[in-house]
Amino acid sequence: MTVADNLTIPIQREDRRVKARRAHIWLAALLAVTAILSLATGPTGTSLWGALGKLITGEELTTMERVVLWDIRLPRLILGMVIGASLAVSGAVMQGLFRNPLADPGLVGVGAGAGLGAIVAIVLGALLPIWLRDIVGNYLVSFSAFFGGWLSTIILYRVSTRRGQTSVATMLLAGIALGALAGAVSGILVYMADDQQLRDLTFWGMGSLAGATWAKVIVAAPLIGIAVVASFFLGQGLNGLALGEATAAHLGISVQRLKSAAIMIVAGATGAAVAVSGGIGFIGIVVPHLLRLATGPDHDTLLPNAALLGATLLLGADIISRLIIAPAELPIGIVTAVLGAPVFLWILLRRRGLVEF
Amino acid sequence: MIEATNIKVKIGKAAILDGVNFTAEPGKVTAIVGPNGSGKTTLLRAITDEIPWTGQISINGKSIGDYKAWELAAVRGVLPQAATLAFPFTVIEVVRMGLTSGVHGNKDGLASQALARVGLSGYEDRFFQELSGGEQQRAHLARVLCQVWEPVLDRQPRWLLLDEPVASLDIGHQLLIMRCLQDYARRGGGVIAVMHDLNLTAMVADAVTIVARGRVVAQGGVQDVLNDQSLSSAYDCTLRTNTPPISDMRYVLPQAAETAGS
Repeated sequence: MTVADNLTIPIQREDRRVKARRAHIWLAALLAVTAILSLATGPTGTSLWGALGKLITGEELTTMERVVLWDIRLPRLILGMVIGASLAVSGAVMQGLFRNPLADPGLVGVGAGAGLGAIVAIVLGALLPIWLRDIVGNYLVSFSAFFGGWLSTIILYRVSTRRGQTSVATMLLAGIALGALAGAVSGILVYMADDQQLRDLTFWGMGSLAGATWAKVIVAAPLIGIAVVASFFLGQGLNGLALGEATAAHLGISVQRLKSAAIMIVAGATGAAVAVSGGIGFIGIVVPHLLRLATGPDHDTLLPNAALLGATLLLGADIISRLIIAPAELPIGIVTAVLGAPVFLWILLRRRGLVEF
Repeated sequence: MIEATNIKVKIGKAAILDGVNFTAEPGKVTAIVGPNGSGKTTLLRAITDEIPWTGQISINGKSIGDYKAWELAAVRGVLPQAATLAFPFTVIEVVRMGLTSGVHGNKDGLASQALARVGLSGYEDRFFQELSGGEQQRAHLARVLCQVWEPVLDRQPRWLLLDEPVASLDIGHQLLIMRCLQDYARRGGGVIAVMHDLNLTAMVADAVTIVARGRVVAQGGVQDVLNDQSLSSAYDCTLRTNTPPISDMRYVLPQAAETAGS
């Protein structure tokens, strides 16, 4: 057979459902490998394999091994996984809800609200009495960011819901207004901040998993886990919504319930993720887009695959952020932006037909 | 039976429908015709509960407010005039969206069968957005057919509510789709179609409702309703109907103003 013969054979597209389901297994395997790599990598040179060997032979772990593996790398691994999954799934749900591949959780105001919450905590937290600061300590920023994210989502939801119907278009516009307002208030607070606070703010905005502790895992992981798993039940509804709200309703989908569920899931998952890790961009847009190209837009398979790939990519980015300038660490938001921004640009250009690949 | 009583629809301050009564029986293709802006699509959208309306609408004797969303989906499929699609779904994926939880048996087989019914066999793996307008419309119709595949379920008729199902089709596919709708009605289902083409309507409809200026101006069998007077008055132009000697099929000819005899 010549090359020309090969080219003329019609491309028989494999049923994408089969491909997408097989991708569950591949992506889970990839996540497992990345997770092991993540546990094995770090600036201290502590060996995962050495420690595992000791566990098998019943030898005592050194304090260093226990602290590095159990208290530092493992919570960081878990937090990285759930946050990666949460960002990617939230992105996919928002894109389904807004019927637009460029939508992201920022559209429901979580980002702006959480950002403002973090800034309020960092700048005004210093005004709290010392004894209170001792109690709330490191969690003040996280709680305040989470609260800010939820509050802004609820305000947006209320503003855009009339007579039991949520207008997605109003939500988009009101979200822009609310974002501008939050930005202005943030600006005032930034103006008031001292040098150390400015530094904290900047780093919060870049995102990091460096502060991962078991306490953060226990607070954030269950909430994110529930939201991510709940999103898997939205698949059919979001598929129907691709045909428009009216047609989705004709298919028997309770559109209003779907919309409120989607918004609450995204607010919960993203709010918790941003609260513990700061701003991490692009996972939410890039992951669903890549998966749609590879296995199609069916949300039934897209959402679980997005959770797996999002977790994998964030862990991968975290490994890079730890190694690239070791022993120092690059904020993970920078890594995801450096990798994600070119892909995002490619999506835009491709949509406008400016590039063909 | 679908019964709509005293339907009023207002958009802003304008009354689009002003106290319309409409009935459609199972086993029949019921066409809704009328000039642009007469309210025929609005009537269909009221019956499908897409827009706010007042009055009474019942399907199979039960008020549509008493149906749950999925119950309604199991009893009637709706084809809008223009359905958009976000994301690059393939044709078969779009048709499968019609397979709601009420459908049992071989779901995949059903989607392919529905595609064959609308003349789109072999289009399964094409991207929906790459199809022509007419092909997209037929693919959507296949999706709607899937949703209410058996015309009768639990001894209750099921319904196809279609807004201009053949508007962007070529003449061959118009006939194919209209025969498919006739077949659905013959097997006990109900079909309500907003139609633009009066001759096609005369050929396949069992009952016709003429809507003009927000009111039903005539309702009944083809021979009774499609006549010179009711059509000319509804469409506000001179129209002549005739019946060729070899068949009893009514046809409509527009009359250019200067040659109009009456």
